Amino acid sequence: MSTYVTELPVRDELDASHAEVMAEWSRAGTWWTGAQRLAMVVEVRRARDAEPLAPWESPSTVDGLILGDSPLPDAVVDVVWRLTNHPGTLTSEWHASILDRGVGALAYVEVVSVVAQVNCVDRFADALELDRVPVPDAEPGEPEGEAPSDAEVRLHWVPTTDTGGPNVWRALSGVPSELEARSRLSTPHYLEGRAVFGDVVSDRFSLQRVQMELIAARTSKLNECFY
Amino acid sequence: MLLGLSGLHHDGEVTLEAIAGSDKGDGGVRHGHLLVRLVEAMWDGEPGPLAAAREDLLAAAGADVLVDAVAVSANFHMMTRVADGTGTPLDPGTDEASGEIRDEIEVNDLVSRRHVPTA
Repeated sequence: MSTYVTELPVRDELDASHAEVMAEWSRAGTWWTGAQRLAMVVEVRRARDAEPLAPWESPSTVDGLILGDSPLPDAVVDVVWRLTNHPGTLTSEWHASILDRGVGALAYVEVVSVVAQVNCVDRFADALELDRVPVPDAEPGEPEGEAPSDAEVRLHWVPTTDTGGPNVWRALSGVPSELEARSRLSTPHYLEGRAVFGDVVSDRFSLQRVQMELIAARTSKLNECFY
Repeated sequence: MLLGLSGLHHDGEVTLEAIAGSDKGDGGVRHGHLLVRLVEAMWDGEPGPLAAAREDLLAAAGADVLVDAVAVSANFHMMTRVADGTGTPLDPGTDEASGEIRDEIEVNDLVSRRHVPTA
């Protein structure tokens, strides 16, 4: 059964990847329960659909924006909104302020991963006027809460492991399951990891590689992403 | 950076102006203007311009290109959030090689500018 009801030619692997990633969000991760991860999905959608806040305004400081029954700490809701709507404004000081509010360093990484993935999936649906993937019931289970033994702060704000590859690949390595989830989503959207720098020539899907890179570059510029 | 690299292997000259906006031409990329317009409409999220951008690309390039272009842009809404949410610095090789490109596409003043710390 297809994730999206549309006459557009959404490739099967792309369609399936969105249903699979929603199912993953509904299960306990490494640091957050399934209910909390789905609450992040809901908050991304609320952030995108709300009247825009300025970058320096947090939902936790605006009356009525924090849901009374949210299973997420206020600091995490603030992260979700800021990362969704103003990713290019983040600073190391802001990141430190989130940790100071009690969010664990690797728990923060999992939040970033889920928020980033939800932005990918929802922006795809929104751009093609498709119904967003429905939020399912959360699966029971507790996060295992185990950090890789070699996770430490190296070049990023966040702890990473000593994996190879470009820095953006290492960014989520402190939570290996999230690194894998992000990679599984990227492959049907763009490229399989090794091909990003290993093969800058071959076309992919219906696009020439230069078309893909123009889209990537313009999207990154609009998001004010230096990387 | 990857646009420049892939452009080296592309028939015809690929330039970087289109990264600055859909009013800057197609950058030597087939349907470049329409692709950038679609990306900008996705960013803005206004239904009217988004529908128009979709329809124009659909008419010029077909439905497969439309879907795949949206998929690639969506991927980079994800990757930019991974990079900027985690404080990812440029890779050393890219940092050294991309100085002129960064000047040309005007990203050196971004808040998200992060270089690899040097010893």
